[in-house]
Amino acid sequence: MWAMIVKEFRQLRRDRRTLAMMIVLPVLMLVIFGYAANFTVSQISTVVVGPQAITTAAQLKAPFRVVETDPKSGISTAKSRLLNGNAEVAFITGPGNTQVLMDGTQLFAVETAETTLGRMAQAARAAMAPPLDVSILYNPKLNTSWVLVPGLAGLILVFIGTLITSLGVVRERQSGTLEQLAVMPLRPWDVIAGKIVPYFIVASLDLIVIIAVGILLFGVPFVGNIAVFALGAILFLLVTLGMGVLISTVSQNQGQAIQLAFMVMLPQILLSGLIFPIDSMSAGVRWISYILPLTYFIDVSRGVMLKGMSIAALSEPLALLAILAVVVLALAMLRFRRDLAPSSRRYQNSLTEPKVAA
Amino acid sequence: MNALAETRGVTRRFGTFTAVDSVSLAVEGGETVGLLGANGAGKTTLIRLLLGLLPPTSGEALLFGSAPSVRSRRRVGYVPQTLGLYDDMTVKENWDFTSRAFGLQRMPLPEDLGEIRNDLVGTLSLGTQRQVAFAVAMSHKPELLVLDEPTSGVAPLSRARLWQDIHAGAEAGAGVLVTTHNMEEAEQCDRLVVMADGQMMVGGTAADVIGSRTVAEVRSKDWRRTFELLDNSGLVIQAHGDVLRVPASKNVIDEALASEGVEVSTALVRANLEEAFVMIISEKSAT
Repeated sequence: MWAMIVKEFRQLRRDRRTLAMMIVLPVLMLVIFGYAANFTVSQISTVVVGPQAITTAAQLKAPFRVVETDPKSGISTAKSRLLNGNAEVAFITGPGNTQVLMDGTQLFAVETAETTLGRMAQAARAAMAPPLDVSILYNPKLNTSWVLVPGLAGLILVFIGTLITSLGVVRERQSGTLEQLAVMPLRPWDVIAGKIVPYFIVASLDLIVIIAVGILLFGVPFVGNIAVFALGAILFLLVTLGMGVLISTVSQNQGQAIQLAFMVMLPQILLSGLIFPIDSMSAGVRWISYILPLTYFIDVSRGVMLKGMSIAALSEPLALLAILAVVVLALAMLRFRRDLAPSSRRYQNSLTEPKVAA
Repeated sequence: MNALAETRGVTRRFGTFTAVDSVSLAVEGGETVGLLGANGAGKTTLIRLLLGLLPPTSGEALLFGSAPSVRSRRRVGYVPQTLGLYDDMTVKENWDFTSRAFGLQRMPLPEDLGEIRNDLVGTLSLGTQRQVAFAVAMSHKPELLVLDEPTSGVAPLSRARLWQDIHAGAEAGAGVLVTTHNMEEAEQCDRLVVMADGQMMVGGTAADVIGSRTVAEVRSKDWRRTFELLDNSGLVIQAHGDVLRVPASKNVIDEALASEGVEVSTALVRANLEEAFVMIISEKSAT
């Protein structure tokens, strides 16, 4: 097995493109998700028109940012501003009620605007009601990056484990060296372990870097136990590496492996709760979330990092990850054995079974 | 004594296509057995069956008297057509990997590979790559050496050197099974097995393969015209100077030339290996 591991590292060292992917991609994803993918809308471009425009504009506070105030124009100007994308919200003041138009294509901005308007209306009539004492736990400022970084760590593991591992194995098949491995006195387990150990190590290093950058750059807290987090990460990584090997056993070339890897990766990005909450998915789709390993890793990573959950509290996702790891690795082993030692069982049968006369 | 490698009526089908059809073959220690056949004759499939890389549909393939296993493969050196080397590793790294995989520690690299020890395999010429693959396959002193088309795409000098190495291996007691479709190489083997359409057509020494087959040596004043006429009749012709060798009977040749009134003298002579091979293949396709 050691010979395989040394060989893999030597090849990896020379495969600059894969190496770059393994280093650059996590950093790139972190920057994109950490800085750009921000669901908290801090500014909403707003236009105010109609006779009361100046008074209304003066009352609007953040996140509304008034970009135009024109008492002389009316609804047609407001509509054209929304159409051209100059503004996301328009207030059309009149002698009576004020009408508000919003650009429905700007989903998050509109939701924020609605919430803010609701709050303003509540504040206006709240003088006599007892004030609500609201406090938000675990992520009081509702930082997007706090929620995304733990999930993103999982996504990187999916990427390395599934895509890069499957490509590594398929490359051996395409170049004919898998056949050479098959005739060497290596057990299938030696070959599989030799193939996945290097990726396991690289993925673990990537994970450490992402978490460290998340903590240092985005101030993501890590309030729980590192050992619990590590346990979840190891189990999850075994699942993704097993998936990679499994994909490679049903792919004849790298193109097929990439296709399959994306079919496995895309649902995990969209349906694991990384971006959209699982509870708001329709029941028809939600069951997919429950068979995706990333769903459970996100439970563990957010649970440990943000909430400081104990191993007992996380026993369910950890157990499910362990089951998935055993099932996927066993399947990968069985399929891979067929590639490496296809005839051994058949031979045992043919040598022990009585021959049928021809 | 058990044969090093043996198949007993082994058959392999892929769907409705029969790649190897009931072939029995044995390789003993110290002998070089050539598997001779055109592309697609089933040579590579037979080798893969022997090594346990493919399960047979029926029949048996045995390595050292039993089913191929991790233990028996330890005694085999195999060079596939694709060479099985890692292009992105150096010669020394490939050597080290194979030695370690066979459980040998710190095996010194053969002297003749010393100069290219740090070259990436992918940057070497095909001939040198084959030389490296052969050396790597021999590194654990295998008792059985299996070579699939070991000299295809190799320059004559490198080819001669490779055959020298192959003979040295056999003299040291190893059994060698080598596939080829090159007749000169086939003649270097102690024993030949000719395959066509997955079936074993004939086996034995080169003389056994040729048997009593004869070809017609045709001489004429206008050999070009004669060549053209015989060629038009669909015969396979080899020109040696102005002598044409045709694997056909005197009657067939006379018939092909009769209408044009070309005068020739025809004599029947013993076929060479290549001609015998062509005749065996055409006999097979005629059935």
